[in-house]
Amino acid sequence: MKYILMMNTMRAGAGVPSWPKSDLQAHIAFMRQLNVDLRDSGELVTAEGLSFPEQARQVSAGKDGVPVTDGVFPESKEFLAGFWIVDVDSPERAYAIAARVSGAPGPGGAPLNMPVEVRPVMSAPPPEMV
Amino acid sequence: MKYILMMSGTKAGVGGYQAWAQSDRDAHMQVLGQVMKDLTESGEFITTSRLAGPAQATLVRGEKNGLPVTDGVFPEAKEFLLGYWIVDVATPERAFAIAGRISAAPGPGGIPTNVAIEVRPFMQ
Repeated sequence: MKYILMMNTMRAGAGVPSWPKSDLQAHIAFMRQLNVDLRDSGELVTAEGLSFPEQARQVSAGKDGVPVTDGVFPESKEFLAGFWIVDVDSPERAYAIAARVSGAPGPGGAPLNMPVEVRPVMSAPPPEMV
Repeated sequence: MKYILMMSGTKAGVGGYQAWAQSDRDAHMQVLGQVMKDLTESGEFITTSRLAGPAQATLVRGEKNGLPVTDGVFPEAKEFLLGYWIVDVATPERAFAIAGRISAAPGPGGIPTNVAIEVRPFMQ
């Protein structure tokens, strides 16, 4: 079963945290180790970090199909900061991995305990639709 | 440059889509399928996924002892990621053009949904 683990952040909280360098390094080391462990267990499908909200654009099609871009988002909008896709045997295993992500260390090494959204991933559109 | 194109919606929006006529849903998926085919041919396609609906979303936090605490309650207004495309393109404009095409996929009665697609580069 494939699951996506999504780390969301508000616009206000987005960006490189203003933590002491050693805390940032500990956080990054934690995330790297997580990815190594998931790769070793064969559960990691993909993991990506996204750029910050300043670089996000909303695109809609204009009447003639030409893209209309807009960089203005509501302050309260949640931004996806990064995600993991894992292939696991049970939802409980996906939740356990999400809990590990959630417990990544923050300032002073205290776990952030940030919420991580977990959802099953479906397949691409069925071939008969293509 | 790698970009992610994200289609999001609220619980109400997802319910609305499920109420579309089957033929409208088929026409919508056919256009998205064609986009995928074209991106594969141009060598810009990396991956796409559809996510299960908000009803299957779970919020997980690590407890003090590291054990997961799960919660399925989300605010009604929360935007849910419905699906995404990852593309490798030469310019941001190209990413916007692809997003525009996805946005123009037909909705009920064949009218373009013009849904807003969030486009963001990956971290280098």
